[in-house]
Amino acid sequence: MDPLIVAQTLNFAYAVISLLLVVLGLAVTLGWLGVMNLAHGEFVMLGAYVAVVTERMGWPFWAAIPLTILFCIVLGIVVERLLIRPLYSRPFDLLLATWGLSILIRKIVEAAFGGGYISLTVPVKGSLDILGASYPTYRILIMAFTVALLAMLLAWYFRSSAAARVKAMVGNPMLAQAVGIDTNALARNTFVVGTCLAGLAGVIIAPVTSVNPFLGLDYVINAFFVIIVGGLGSVLGLFAGSGIIGGLDSFVSAILDRTSAFFLVLLIAIFFLWLRPRGLFARN
Amino acid sequence: MTKRTKSLNLSRRQFVLASGGAAAALASPAFIRDLKAADEFKIAAFIALTGPASLFGPTQKACAELAVEQINAAGGINGREVKLIIADGGVAPGEAAKTAVRLMLRDKVDFFAGSHDSAVRQALVATFKGKTPYVYTPIYEGGECAPNTYVVADTPAQQIGTAIPWLYKKHGLKDCYLVGNDYVWPRVLNEHTKKAVAAAGGSIVGEEYVPLGAPNKFEEIVTRIKAKNPSFVMVTVIGAYNVVFNQTFASFGLDENITRLSALLEENTLLGIGKDNAKGLYGCMSYFESVASPDSEAFKKAYLAKMGDKAPQLSLIGTDIYAGINFAAEVTKKAGSTDAAAVAKAAVDLPFKSAVGTWVMRSNRHVDKTMYMGDASSGKLEVVETFKDVASGETCK
Repeated sequence: MDPLIVAQTLNFAYAVISLLLVVLGLAVTLGWLGVMNLAHGEFVMLGAYVAVVTERMGWPFWAAIPLTILFCIVLGIVVERLLIRPLYSRPFDLLLATWGLSILIRKIVEAAFGGGYISLTVPVKGSLDILGASYPTYRILIMAFTVALLAMLLAWYFRSSAAARVKAMVGNPMLAQAVGIDTNALARNTFVVGTCLAGLAGVIIAPVTSVNPFLGLDYVINAFFVIIVGGLGSVLGLFAGSGIIGGLDSFVSAILDRTSAFFLVLLIAIFFLWLRPRGLFARN
Repeated sequence: MTKRTKSLNLSRRQFVLASGGAAAALASPAFIRDLKAADEFKIAAFIALTGPASLFGPTQKACAELAVEQINAAGGINGREVKLIIADGGVAPGEAAKTAVRLMLRDKVDFFAGSHDSAVRQALVATFKGKTPYVYTPIYEGGECAPNTYVVADTPAQQIGTAIPWLYKKHGLKDCYLVGNDYVWPRVLNEHTKKAVAAAGGSIVGEEYVPLGAPNKFEEIVTRIKAKNPSFVMVTVIGAYNVVFNQTFASFGLDENITRLSALLEENTLLGIGKDNAKGLYGCMSYFESVASPDSEAFKKAYLAKMGDKAPQLSLIGTDIYAGINFAAEVTKKAGSTDAAAVAKAAVDLPFKSAVGTWVMRSNRHVDKTMYMGDASSGKLEVVETFKDVASGETCK
């Protein structure tokens, strides 16, 4: 098979899967919990900086994963208690509050690390030969990791009792409380899972991106398009959105050029906002 | 004689201030400002305080302040103390124009200097209308011939005209792929590149542009380049795009056999790209931190003495405004005023201090400069070739 076609197909898969990895946390906080966390990109950025600190301390790259999870749990709990919980019933104020949080996080990181770009050593160098095309090993690993993570989360979502409790709480909070479910704790834990997934994404993609305080903003743009297309409030919508946005972007970039690809993505977003504002799979 | 005149001036100033101070206690702040303005020479520097280039803000500010401190230590401009006003050049052109109007009318700025993008430059030039002199300092696409506007910035003739022939000869290059951000500077640079590549016996096998402001990924472009297999890639993407492009390029293994020249490869960007991804990567500009000359060492020493341990990384974007402010001082000193005709006359063949040595403003209101070829493969930009007194190639009357 023509190595160019193999490579561009792998690029397609990488574009969709890496976008999915980044919006996974948003699938939990927004898709499930219904919390519009505009600071989601900043949690991704924080994960990337945890990877930076890990490298500067001389520890192996993979140590950044548990460190990020720890850090995001602590930060997630604090943010949920102080910012999110008081504003659950006021979604627009919550939007503004999380946007303010994103500005705060960016400025703190800039004060601590400076505004410049930081490069990380890629943990697994070299390329793999796939059907005649040579593809960077680390990108293959990112795809494998994300698919595995996704499988785990889906298994948990469909099988575990904790997931059932969350579904109950999200479906009918009053009834859930009446049945004895601690909705406060459950909401907090779900939010924290969302921020941890964001931080985790940040760690994994940090070696293949430019680490700087504005890293999160790029992902917020894409996440916004994914939500418009996929639909607000549903996990399936976020997956569909990632597939369409990431896939279209990559496909048109490969066939034509990046300007056409971005133009088409914008066109699709405008089309959906105009004709189908609830997206493909909105929560009813 | 001079001493008596000086003390006369001082006591008159004191008298004016004393009586003015009494009135000023009751008057509006603008009144006080006008009094002080009579003695200070105001230079307004537009630098990147916000926006995508804001990472350069700290070093631009430090270099601008250093220039003003050195000028004041040497007696100011025609006896007047220089006051530096910092303005944000990283905002939308319309916003920058509004700030410029305020600075012209309310603050009565004497000289403007700008280290920002061309869109803002065009808005500022349209605002000044040649009334106040303005010096534009960073790297750009050439063609700025507005009256009372002086350019210290690197031009395409200086960058491309030196780097391409040298690289082609040194590495035996043949075909070239062009990748850039989609706006005026990369497009103009690429026009120069096409001519230079043709002159060196090469050909262009691809030309791509990626939008500014979009979240761009480069896997598809890099895969296309790999399929074309050129010997040389001219990289005119900037900032974070420059970092990600070069990282992606190297991760696909293209750095093994393909030489790259990046048009805006300065120290901060290289820090982001990293040593692992910089094999065969070059930059060509009028300033690198590693340039070793008595003047550049003296500048570095003064910069570090001023900024201490946490000194922002030195880069062309930063040292450019140092040169620009020094030009403003020298030309005003020679002209005796900031009258446009006097400044224009004084500016011809006028030498002034830059961070690497003496630069000379020519009659085309641009600077012929020494350019440096920087090899990035060690993770630091090391100067491997020096091109002396390269003409700016601009034809302003």
